[in-house]
Amino acid sequence: MTLASRLDSLRRQAGVESRTAPAPAWIPASPLAGSCDRGPRVGVEDLQQRVAALRRLLGRRPTSRETGIADSVRDRAAAPDRCLPGVDVGPGLQLIERHYALPELPLSIALHGLRSSAQQRHARVHEPEDPGMVHPARLLAIDTETTGLTGGTGTRAFMIGVADFVDGRMRIRQLLTTTLAGESRMLRMFCDWLRDDHVLVSYNGRSYDRPLLSTRLRLARLADPLSALIHLDLLHVTRRAYRSAWPNCRLATAERELLGVVRDDDLPGSEAPGAWLTWLRGGSSALLHRVAAHNDQDLRSLMGLVAHFASAAGQPPR
Amino acid sequence: MLAIAPARPVALPRQNERADGRALAERLQSKYSSRITGALVFPARAGRYAELPAGLPESIVRAMHVRGIHQLYSHQLEAWEATQRGEHVVVVTPTASGKTLCYTLPVLAGAITAQSKALYLFPTKALAQDQVAELNEINQAGNLGLRASTFDGDTPGDARQAVRLHGDIVVSNPDMLHTAILPHHTKWAQLFENLRYVVIDEIHTYRGVFGSHVANVIRRLKRVCAFYGVSPQFILCSATIGNPHAHAEALLEDRVTAITESGAPSGEKHVLLWNPPVVNRDLGLRASARSQSTRIARAAIRAGLKVLVFAQSRTMVEIITKYLKDVFDHDPRKPPRIRAYRGGYLPTERREVERSMRAGHIDGIVSTSALELGVDVGALDVVLCNGYPGSIAATWQRFGRAGRRRQPSLGVLIASSEPLDQYLVRHPEFFRDAPPEHARIHADQDLIALDHVRCAAFELPFGEGEMFGRLDPEPFLEVLVEESVLHREGVRWEWIADSYPAGAVSLRAVADGNFVVVDRTDGRQGIVAEVDYTAAALTLYEGAIHMVQAAPYQVEKLDWAGRKAFVTRTVVDYYTDAIDYTKLKVLSCFEARASGSGSAQHGEVHVVRRVSGYKKIRYYTHENIGYGPVSLPDQELQTTAVWWQLPQPVLDAVFAHRQEALEAFLGAAHALHVIASLSVMADARDLQRSVGTGDDSWNIGKHRQPASIVPAQSATSGSFLPTLYLYDNYPGGIGLSEPLFERASEIVRGARELIARCECAAGCPGCVGPVLAADESLELTPKLLALRVLETLSESA
Repeated sequence: MTLASRLDSLRRQAGVESRTAPAPAWIPASPLAGSCDRGPRVGVEDLQQRVAALRRLLGRRPTSRETGIADSVRDRAAAPDRCLPGVDVGPGLQLIERHYALPELPLSIALHGLRSSAQQRHARVHEPEDPGMVHPARLLAIDTETTGLTGGTGTRAFMIGVADFVDGRMRIRQLLTTTLAGESRMLRMFCDWLRDDHVLVSYNGRSYDRPLLSTRLRLARLADPLSALIHLDLLHVTRRAYRSAWPNCRLATAERELLGVVRDDDLPGSEAPGAWLTWLRGGSSALLHRVAAHNDQDLRSLMGLVAHFASAAGQPPR
Repeated sequence: MLAIAPARPVALPRQNERADGRALAERLQSKYSSRITGALVFPARAGRYAELPAGLPESIVRAMHVRGIHQLYSHQLEAWEATQRGEHVVVVTPTASGKTLCYTLPVLAGAITAQSKALYLFPTKALAQDQVAELNEINQAGNLGLRASTFDGDTPGDARQAVRLHGDIVVSNPDMLHTAILPHHTKWAQLFENLRYVVIDEIHTYRGVFGSHVANVIRRLKRVCAFYGVSPQFILCSATIGNPHAHAEALLEDRVTAITESGAPSGEKHVLLWNPPVVNRDLGLRASARSQSTRIARAAIRAGLKVLVFAQSRTMVEIITKYLKDVFDHDPRKPPRIRAYRGGYLPTERREVERSMRAGHIDGIVSTSALELGVDVGALDVVLCNGYPGSIAATWQRFGRAGRRRQPSLGVLIASSEPLDQYLVRHPEFFRDAPPEHARIHADQDLIALDHVRCAAFELPFGEGEMFGRLDPEPFLEVLVEESVLHREGVRWEWIADSYPAGAVSLRAVADGNFVVVDRTDGRQGIVAEVDYTAAALTLYEGAIHMVQAAPYQVEKLDWAGRKAFVTRTVVDYYTDAIDYTKLKVLSCFEARASGSGSAQHGEVHVVRRVSGYKKIRYYTHENIGYGPVSLPDQELQTTAVWWQLPQPVLDAVFAHRQEALEAFLGAAHALHVIASLSVMADARDLQRSVGTGDDSWNIGKHRQPASIVPAQSATSGSFLPTLYLYDNYPGGIGLSEPLFERASEIVRGARELIARCECAAGCPGCVGPVLAADESLELTPKLLALRVLETLSESA
């Protein structure tokens, strides 16, 4: 028997729900029983047998080693749509770039008024002193799309989106990895975009996006310029101002209430991981276009919220 | 070197003789000679000392002087030298021999001279907190400027960041390392980049299932360290077990230097084995162990000695404490001389008891096994074990708590009516000669290895050809790809799922099917225990009396699919015993050898187990007072086993008919199970037994049953090959079968002696299992039948 079905039946015996097809009730004698107590070491021949048996199993259901296409996906889609958003900027990496009209922004933004005193107290030790007034050109909104919410080193960002102001317009740039190997290139390109005087703008980024990117940079053995930048997390600003007025302070609520944005046919953020995995396993890229659109709107809403809070009407109560 | 003296009267000591362990031992032996079945004496040992090493930084030397330490014991210097040579070390010296300094000195020296950091792993929070307190005292004494802190479930959120970034010594535990540190290792980069030492204390507790998990956590730790470019040195401490060196090397998968000779001085040690007197000859009832413990404790305290009594359960701690307080603490105006100690007390309460003990204010302390581990409670003269702790190693560890530096001390093991206790107390030479049990782990166990390869892949991607310890992870990685948690691209396997694998892996279970036991007494809803999936059908059926900390609860409802058992506290005079039937099929035989006129083998088996009912058995008399039905799904188990068989011609020669042979095998199985569990340090539920007939019918687990409960048997075929199995009670096995096979003839011999020397007439729960009244009048009693099997299986038969 193969290792996979053996493990599955052992798991069932231990009371865990089966993950694959149930194994037969009586299991025939296994030539691969070398995993039990047979002295100090499992022999090399046993290992090779095990791996060979497993590969034979995989061989019966042909899979491509390179992209790990699951044949169920392949069978289902006669010719999946593999057309990607944006342009290819290197193996495994796409860049999507768009421009929009500026929201109404004052010439300089009183950052001091936006950051709560709590945020300032807990500012990271090596963050530069709060400069007080900030020119809009220094703002850089960021929003990532990731493979999951559980945190830890196993979660990665497959898309990094940023928004900034250039040549009188708002520029949205999104980096999308299309292979696992593209991550390193994505991170380097993203870090190249960063300047010392950037002020990061995010929604819950202090707790989620920024630590996640720092983790991935560390794993890729790249320097981490993010920790040194001032970070304005609009989730906290929004909560302070509107926590008692609204049922929740999600970005969707804030953009609807303050900016009048109502999304049409938006892909929920929770479906983003699945969209990317579908692509990765050789499936359709259709959902990835929608992920990019969702991310794009997130960034525009972030900048809109900055404009709202920076304007006189939007100053949060002190 | 060792003197063993059978019980005999000794001259009474003079009235004004100094009170110490020896005096008490002699007095007890003279007054209660009929109850003492064995006496051992270990001579005093002088200390062997050494200078503080030259390489120790000045500030640490100063700190040592401030703490009153001006020289080291020889083994502490040995440990220093080994660590300076860059070796892994395991220190195996007795309690109170200064093991702490063996790792504190290298760790502090590294921190001072090279700003290196250390990670400590302790099994309990109490020990972790003690360690940090100790480190902070040394820190202050020498003005070292080091930061030591605990990192566990109680560490508040904002303190965690400070520990990650600035902690020089992080004191944690294996569970925390597994779920909170390794899966977030980038946040701990400052620690890992400078990590030089990993200290793991009490490694003898990391055995069996738990130890197999911990060995894998260590593999993951080393892997993460390698990512940060470090290869830390491990300093391990172990109590005296049979194989501390091999165990340490198994945990680390690397060479370890063992330091086993203690240079600490010790006084003469006396050990007595005590069997309570028979109070009812007809029923064979003995007085309770508790009655003896309180009697001896009273005598010791009255003689001015400090006593520690170990009880097997919290309830018994309370009972013994009450008895002793009634004698010694009847004046509430005076400070209490008797205190109870439990792991469940608040840290402040425990600290207070420990301080009082150290200051000498307390004369008697009653505790559970919580005090087996290293907490310093000052000098004790006498240790009493109320009941056998379950292993020789644990017994010696408890006895090790007694002994002021140069004064004689006394340890007494008081037997309960449990079969193991009775066996030991009647075989003092077994107790003297038995090597402490061997700790065993099985790090490559399929399910455990899979769980940790999964966790490791979450922490760092795997590359082609990369090993996981000495395990080749590739087959497991491919399985994980099929499960869609990993994606293989080129030569790497990367994590892509939205889950946190460490959260679903318990270090104390094999896979995640555990049952929780929910206490519903008085309308409460609290979880009081957790039970393995494989043990659930045997202990959690409706009507079962389930013991939690030796307090009886009755199972009212079992939610099988929901993995919950609902119980209420109860008061009964009986316990329940599941009647189980097994179908065992041998899948493969790894090895076989002759055993007397028969054979012993070990290999992989497939077990189907059905619990068809249960018996209610009265305490002490072991009368069967009723039956109950059980209706639960059959359980399947693929695991390893060791088994014995006799060939047909031999059976025909030795037994008159099949039924007789089966009876014999059942009795032999009972005795073999007792001895086997003893020799591999197995918990009661780790090892199960079964006797089969070699055809497709149900094997009988234990005793004779009424016809209504026996499952329908298929027609018996011509062949009849009774086989006696001992199998690991975990899917995939847990590494007990091979060592049992290696020692098969020794175990058979032990079982023979157990039965032969048992004082019962025809059989009893202490040797072959309970017998029916009718059996006692037979000429061929169950005892004799069982002996026949064992004799036939013996080498010299």
